[in-house]
Amino acid sequence: MNAPAGAEVIVDGVSKSFGRISALREVSLRVAPREAVVITGRSGSGKSTLLAMIGGLEQPDAGEVLIDRRPIWRSGQPALARREVVGFVFQRHLLLGALSARANVEVPLIGARVHRRERRERALALLDEVGLADRAEHLPSELSGGESQRVAVARALANEPRLLLADEPTGALDSVTSERVLDLLFRLRDRLGMTLLVVSYDRSVGVRADRTITLVDGTLEGAEAALFQR
Amino acid sequence: MLAIITTNLLRRSARTIFTACGIALGVATIVALLSFTQGLKNTAAGFVHLGGSDLGVFQANVSDPTASVLPEAMVGHLAARPEVARATPLLLLVEGVRADPSAIVFGAEPDGFFTQRLVFVQGGPGEVLVGERLAARAHLRAGGPIVIEGRTFRIAGIYHSGILFEDSGAVIPLATAQALTARAGEVTDVVVQLAPGARAGASAASIERAFPGTQVITDPQQALRAGANSTLISKAILVIVVIALIVGAISVANTMAMSIIERQAELGLLSTVGWTPLRVASLIFGEGVAVSVLGAALGLLVGVIGAGLLVQALGVSAYVSPSVTAWALGRGLLVGVAIGVLGGIYPAWRVTRMTPLRALSSR
Repeated sequence: MNAPAGAEVIVDGVSKSFGRISALREVSLRVAPREAVVITGRSGSGKSTLLAMIGGLEQPDAGEVLIDRRPIWRSGQPALARREVVGFVFQRHLLLGALSARANVEVPLIGARVHRRERRERALALLDEVGLADRAEHLPSELSGGESQRVAVARALANEPRLLLADEPTGALDSVTSERVLDLLFRLRDRLGMTLLVVSYDRSVGVRADRTITLVDGTLEGAEAALFQR
Repeated sequence: MLAIITTNLLRRSARTIFTACGIALGVATIVALLSFTQGLKNTAAGFVHLGGSDLGVFQANVSDPTASVLPEAMVGHLAARPEVARATPLLLLVEGVRADPSAIVFGAEPDGFFTQRLVFVQGGPGEVLVGERLAARAHLRAGGPIVIEGRTFRIAGIYHSGILFEDSGAVIPLATAQALTARAGEVTDVVVQLAPGARAGASAASIERAFPGTQVITDPQQALRAGANSTLISKAILVIVVIALIVGAISVANTMAMSIIERQAELGLLSTVGWTPLRVASLIFGEGVAVSVLGAALGLLVGVIGAGLLVQALGVSAYVSPSVTAWALGRGLLVGVAIGVLGGIYPAWRVTRMTPLRALSSR
């Protein structure tokens, strides 16, 4: 696989409320290209909401998210950003049960109208990348939790994203499998050069990252906020 | 995309089959009725040209051509018109043959052109003549007995005319038919052979003007329109098409809406990995159309079989053969596809309104 350049992410004064609950309050943040950042915080602190806004899944009430200096919400094309720039890994692997591991990896490529043969070749290469070449034609029900999550990682990489977003990617895995999946994510970041944002309640994940930021009640904790303000 | 549509439909195979069967039922009904109507039209062609005539004069506004009643006295006036070469009256008796109630008995003048053109394959001219198809069906032969309107006659001959109605029925003298039914002086219709050079359309109009209250039928389509029963069938088909469209579309919409609710997380995932709302909607729309096409294909097959069963159930198989035309099949298929398109619109629209994150968190 070619190494895609990492994307720069700027979160500019983003706020989001769900009814009376304020999930994020004027959060600003910059993530440099190829940087690996872990976003941590307690449950309900707004870290998943922040990741969803960066990835074009949830529209902010105020503020803007810029990827490579292009506002994804103001342009009205978050789907374009998801297809061309962003790859997602979730806590649950969310594989389509009726499709094989290979076909699941091909799904984003179908959305991008990639030709069938190229789709297949790219999916097999990605499964090889995550160590599952021999499981390509297996259904998700025939894979372990760790294997399913590795297929989900391969799927996230299918469109050669420059920004990989992982929301509690090890939340549903045991500790040994968690370590393997985290190893895989950070190794891929090192090798492919994309920007990596990982949300985790586990602060220990931060030792693998270039930087750890903490959200408390919808705002960035002290030093990070002050840094960006400057 | 096609592979995903196929996989999704197979994954819920029972639901797919039930929905397709519902659509198939509607399409089959349409195809069967259209084939039956076409069969009626073909039969009417024979009915119009009874005895090798060019046109038939019937009473206007009757529920069915066989229910027409005309005065026998008008035959002479009709025969005297310049555009008419020959005219002969017929009295049609339905359900008059005990051995085969679907057979029609023609009361005709023995020296009229209707009777004179019969070709005998057994026996010869006489009081009671039996068509070869009726003879074959009811195992009748020349010299044998036949019961008509409760009275036993001896069969003089078995004939062939080449017209389905005639070959499936029997011919008796007009006076005998009138006596059997106590309808002296009445006939059902008058069949007419036109004079050389006379045009059917102009002659028909001229006769209708000369004999108010009559209707002159010159082509099968006209015969179908003249019969209220045929008109009712045509209207019934239209109503069934509309009902099939509405019920089928609701069925598909309901199936797909349920599918969307069950698969919100999956559809959210497709959005997450970059599928545009339009593309996700196309998937749902495609599934709706695919199940409808499946149902339509099944419906065409059942409709062709059902058309045959319909004529048997109505007891008219002796003289109506369902005619399955490409146009009837095409219309059935069109209705099936229209069901899918109409039923797929709403669920597809709903998908475009879903936000990926909410959809993802639904599992």
